[in-house]
Amino acid sequence: MQYRSALGVPQRMARKVLWFPLVKIQLTKDKVIELNLPVGGGKGKSKSDIVGVELFSSCPQGCPAVRLLRRKEGWLVSAAGYVKAPHGELPERWEDTPKQPKWDLPRAFQSPSAALAVNTEMGIFAQASPEAIVQEMVHGPASASAGASVAAPSSAAGKRRFGIKHAEPSDQKPKQPAAAPTVPSKKTSVPEPGVPVSENGRRFSVRPFAEDGFRLYASMPEFQALWLSRLLPEGRRPTASSIQLAESALMASVLSQPAFKESGGDLVAVFVRDGAVFFAGYKKGAPVLWRRCPNVRGSAAMRESVMKTFGVGDDLVNDVLDDSLVDPHPALEPFVHPILEQLELSRAYLAGKHDLTSDKVLLMGVDHGIKHWRAYAEESLKVQFVAPDPFDGMALGKGVSPGRPYDFLVAIGAAVAAAEVES
Amino acid sequence: MNSSAFHLNLLKSSELLSSSPVRMRVMLPLFLLLGCAGMVVWWGVLFTQFMAVKARSDGISGDISAKDKSHAEIIERQAHARELSLQLEQLDYYRGGVRKVGEPLAALADVMPLKVQLTRLEIQPPPLQVLQPPGAKQPLPGPVENVETQKVVVVGKTTKETPVLALMESLEDEQFGRLVTRKREVKSFKQDDAPAKGGARLLAFEIEYTMPERRFAK
Repeated sequence: MQYRSALGVPQRMARKVLWFPLVKIQLTKDKVIELNLPVGGGKGKSKSDIVGVELFSSCPQGCPAVRLLRRKEGWLVSAAGYVKAPHGELPERWEDTPKQPKWDLPRAFQSPSAALAVNTEMGIFAQASPEAIVQEMVHGPASASAGASVAAPSSAAGKRRFGIKHAEPSDQKPKQPAAAPTVPSKKTSVPEPGVPVSENGRRFSVRPFAEDGFRLYASMPEFQALWLSRLLPEGRRPTASSIQLAESALMASVLSQPAFKESGGDLVAVFVRDGAVFFAGYKKGAPVLWRRCPNVRGSAAMRESVMKTFGVGDDLVNDVLDDSLVDPHPALEPFVHPILEQLELSRAYLAGKHDLTSDKVLLMGVDHGIKHWRAYAEESLKVQFVAPDPFDGMALGKGVSPGRPYDFLVAIGAAVAAAEVES
Repeated sequence: MNSSAFHLNLLKSSELLSSSPVRMRVMLPLFLLLGCAGMVVWWGVLFTQFMAVKARSDGISGDISAKDKSHAEIIERQAHARELSLQLEQLDYYRGGVRKVGEPLAALADVMPLKVQLTRLEIQPPPLQVLQPPGAKQPLPGPVENVETQKVVVVGKTTKETPVLALMESLEDEQFGRLVTRKREVKSFKQDDAPAKGGARLLAFEIEYTMPERRFAK
C-alpha cells in the first residue's frame, strides 16, 4: 500500500491510530504545510448512537431513517420512520452544486452523527481487482452509466475547482468520456482501505475481501459527495459521519441478523430492490461476493408483471402474491427463475472459489409472495430461503413500529456499517 | 465480525463536521490563543514576582552588609551592658551581705553592767576560703560559698561573776540579734594577773559569740 503524502512513519502511525485529519495549507506556490488536527467522531472510535438515513429512495413517504443505540445485548432501535426529504435533488452536474440545501432531521433522529446512504445512478458499487480499480480511477467509469460523462469529464481543457477537473459550462454539452482518457499527473494506486480518495472527478473508497483477490469498492462523483457532505449543517445534530452508496449499506444490513451470527458469518444473501436484485456472499463475517443479477429488474418489475398478468391495480398486487386462492405462478415465475439461475451460478462460484456452501439463503427485501419464492427455490435449487425481518436481532424501543420493515433495510445497513462495531 | 469491513465511507475526514453548536474550528484557535495569552500572563506574573523577590533580596543583602559594623558595636555594647548588670548584681549581693551592727553596738552601752569593763570587742575576720582546691588547674573565679560566719570576741574585766551573767543575758535580747546569736562559748573566766587600782582583785573573762550568718544574696 502506498501513501500519497510524504508523511514520516510516526506521523502516519499517529494518523492511523488517532485519526487526525490531514489539513494542507498552501503558503506559496511551492510550499505546502500539512497539519494533523484532532476532530470528533474519529475512525478508531465506534459509535454508540447513530442515525442511518436512506436518501432518494423509492419510498413515497420520505427518506427511511433509523436511530440505533448500542447496548450491551445489541442494538436498540430508538426511532424508525420516514423523514422529509431534503429540498432539491442530488446534483447531476458540477454546476448544480451551489444549490446546496440545509437539512434538519426531526428531534427523534438527532443523534450526534448520521450515516447517509444515497441512491444514485452515478454511483458504482462493485467488486473488482486492484488493477481494474486503478484503471477506473485513471480513466473514469468509461463503461459505466451515461451520467458518468458528467461526473468525470475527461476534457483536458476542463476548469479546475477544488483541485478537481470538472465539466465545462452548461452551454457546452457533456462529451463522452471514453474518447480521451485523462492522463494522470501522478502514479495512481489503490486507495488505503476505508480512506476515501478523490481521483479524476470521482471519489473512491475501497475495502478488501475476506480472502485475497478482489476488492469491494464504491465511487461517486466528487460533486455529489461534496453536496451530501454539506447537507447536514454544522452545529446541529446530526452531522454526517458517513456517506455510503445504498448498495454498500444494503450489504451491511444483514450484520445484525441472528441468522448471520448463527452461521458464523458464512452466508449467501439475495437482496431484492425496486430496480435491481443483488447477490452477496459472506465468509467469516467479511464480504467475498457482490454482484448485480444481470438482465433482471427489481421488485417493481415483478409488481408490474402481476398487474399486467392479472389485470389488477397496484393496491391489489400484495393480495395476489399472498392470497392462497390466486396462483401468481404465471406472473412470478418468469421473474424469479432468472434470479434463481444466477443464484445457482453465484453459489457455485462461492463453493469453488471460497469453499462457501450453504443450504440456507437469506432473502432480503421481499415482503409479499415469500411462500412462492421458497417453493421455487426448494424445487429448482434445493435451497431454503430465509426471509427475516430487517429488525431481527435488534430491540425495538418504546413506540417504535416500522410499518414496512424492508423500507429500512438500507438505513439499518448504513447505520450498522458506519458504527464500525465488533460483534 | 467487524462492521467496518462493510463501511465504504465516501466522506473524507476533512469534511467531518461537529454537531456541537460551538464550532471546533473556531474554538480550537481561540483556545490556543487564550492558552498562549494565559501562559504569557502567567510567565509575566512569575517574572514580576521573581524580579520583586530578587530586588528585595538585594536590598536585604545591602542592608545586612551596611549594618554589619553597627551590629558588632551593638553586640559589644550588649556584652558590656551584660557585664555591668552582672557587676550591679554582684553589688546587690554585697549590699544584701552588709552587716549593720552600728545600732546594736550603740545599744551595748545601755546594757553594760557597772561592774564590767570591756577591754576588747573584736569582730574576727571571716575564715579564708579555698580558691585553689587540690587538683584544680586554675584558681576559682570567686568564693564558692555565699554564706559567711564570723565570730565576735568580747573580752573584759569584772569584780565578780554576776555582772558578766547579766551582760550575757542582756546580749540575748532581740536588739542585739544582728550582732550576736545565742551561740556562744566562754573561752576563759579567771583571776586577772594585772594588779588593779587599790589592790582589788579583778576577774578577766573572754566570751566568743557567733554572729548571724552573712548571706551574699538579693
